[in-house]
Amino acid sequence: MRRVPRNWLWVGLLAAIVLMLPLVVTSRFAIDIFIRIALFAFIGVAWNLMGGYAKQLSLGHAAYFGLGAYTSTILEIRYGISPWLGMIAGGVVAMLASLPIGALCFRLRGPYFAIATIATAQVLMLLFLKFRDFAWGAEGTTIPNFGDAPLMMQFDEKSSYYFLALGLLALGVAITYRIEHSWMGYYLVAIGEDEDAAQAIGVNAPRVKRDIYMISAFLTALAGTFYVQYIYFIDPATAFSFNISVEAALVSIVGGIGTLWGPVVGTVLLETASALLQSWLGSSAGGVQLTIYSLILIAVILWRPSGLLGLFEDIYRRMVHARPARPKEALLDG
Amino acid sequence: MLETLAQAVINGLLIGGIYALVSIGVTLIFGVVKIVNFAQGEFVMIGMYITFFLATRFGIDPLVSLAVSIPVLFLVGMLVQHFLIRRVLGLGDMPQIFLTFALSLLLMNVALLLFTANYRTVHTGYSDESIHLGAFYVPVAKLIAFGLAMVFSGILWLFLHFTDLGKAMRAAAQNPEVAMLMGINPHRVFAVAFGAALALAGAAGSLLMPFYPASPMAGQVFVLMAFVAVVLGTLGNVTGALVASLMMGIAESLGIQFVGADSGLIVVFLMLLLTLAFRPSGLAGGRGR
Repeated sequence: MRRVPRNWLWVGLLAAIVLMLPLVVTSRFAIDIFIRIALFAFIGVAWNLMGGYAKQLSLGHAAYFGLGAYTSTILEIRYGISPWLGMIAGGVVAMLASLPIGALCFRLRGPYFAIATIATAQVLMLLFLKFRDFAWGAEGTTIPNFGDAPLMMQFDEKSSYYFLALGLLALGVAITYRIEHSWMGYYLVAIGEDEDAAQAIGVNAPRVKRDIYMISAFLTALAGTFYVQYIYFIDPATAFSFNISVEAALVSIVGGIGTLWGPVVGTVLLETASALLQSWLGSSAGGVQLTIYSLILIAVILWRPSGLLGLFEDIYRRMVHARPARPKEALLDG
Repeated sequence: MLETLAQAVINGLLIGGIYALVSIGVTLIFGVVKIVNFAQGEFVMIGMYITFFLATRFGIDPLVSLAVSIPVLFLVGMLVQHFLIRRVLGLGDMPQIFLTFALSLLLMNVALLLFTANYRTVHTGYSDESIHLGAFYVPVAKLIAFGLAMVFSGILWLFLHFTDLGKAMRAAAQNPEVAMLMGINPHRVFAVAFGAALALAGAAGSLLMPFYPASPMAGQVFVLMAFVAVVLGTLGNVTGALVASLMMGIAESLGIQFVGADSGLIVVFLMLLLTLAFRPSGLAGGRGR
């Protein structure tokens, strides 16, 4: 009989709980937070493919989020095309855009790569502010409400959005899992460890980086379409918000970069902390959320740069086996 | 037409002097400590708030408050280097980038909590004055800011080239191991470099106050300009950063004049992307990383 890994039993159990959540919790406020968690976990997963495994630390993923959002919205409002198709189209546009952007930004490494990616997202935002006739300029536009129209990605029930966001997250995790267990995954990790060394042993680093950037951009664009469909509004400041780029990186780092579940764990922690704080202090106090985020980020970087997922795993092991796994065993298991 | 052009160049050059103070700080930290300080703009912002409070509470002129903002930020810089940056040196890109990035987010949002998002201005006797030179006019506050920015940049250059500590700093920038063998204490040198860079940011904050409003996000523009200038002027090169900053001030001003009021930043970002495309190691050549 084929042995089911115990990890997957846990994943199955967790999935069941997560799917039942809207049945148990009906408060719109709570479901709104669950949607945010699923969405940002998905964006984090998309960022993590490139930022985590290949350590190409982008701070410009809002570029693809915005392109996805604008592509589907323009197709819907100007040409009446369903956002379901628009979502895919947005992904393709983002993928194509990642080619020239990558060609430019990958000339730099480390911090200057990050800065160049910030610049690309900002340029796109500034351009969309200028596209007054075609893309509504700075005022943005509301997205026409068709009521309960699943074919136009609009639902009466908030829980439907929740399941859709969960579906995206599942897609992202599945793709990450496949990549992690393929040659591509090993190439990415090799590039992340030491790009020159990876190149020296025959990894085609530019090509691998280009490919993973395309996948990451595609997924991020899907999140963009979902988000504007959910909030029924689009403008350049929302769609290309620097906060999107920041949060994508942040949830991955806090959870654990280059791990399958890191971004998910990071998002659950950060979004829960922020929701609790906001209900405690009231949403009037601007700056509370990012103050807390940045303090958590500093703490993680100084004391646990590999992320909190590993910390939880250690605690779990200690509780179950009463001793931490020795590094040697971990190597043999892997 | 030509007059408008010349006037735009003058305006750009003057603000470029402020960009230079910020960029020189960024490039000094990058050259010596090998860290990109994403929070440099927030230290400009702190300098602005120090100046604002000294002016509104005690009626101190922004130019006099340089005597407070420069030493305070020098001290802050030494502390940041000692307690935060030192702990991530040599740990790879992720901790190094995101530590200063997190610091930037933290300072910005704490400022938002403490001071709200309102714009704060300080009005001085010379805020609205300007000198007429033929057909052009030169705003006095900006001229003073530019002049003092050049003076501070000059002092830093003299310090780097003619004092033992400055030479030690350049030695540590070139080759930390050999510098250590020569008896240079890298941590002390790093702390002074970080302090000096932040002192320049603080000076920029005070110099800006007579003609530029303070807000929690005020530093963002300056740090973005500085990043572009530092790439353009070749990473770690102080003179390169200075020249590039002046160029960018002019480019931004021309963009505003001839493309549209909100196009200054587009011009600057396009300059960055074009530089990356054609001269990734900076206009002066040299190391690409």
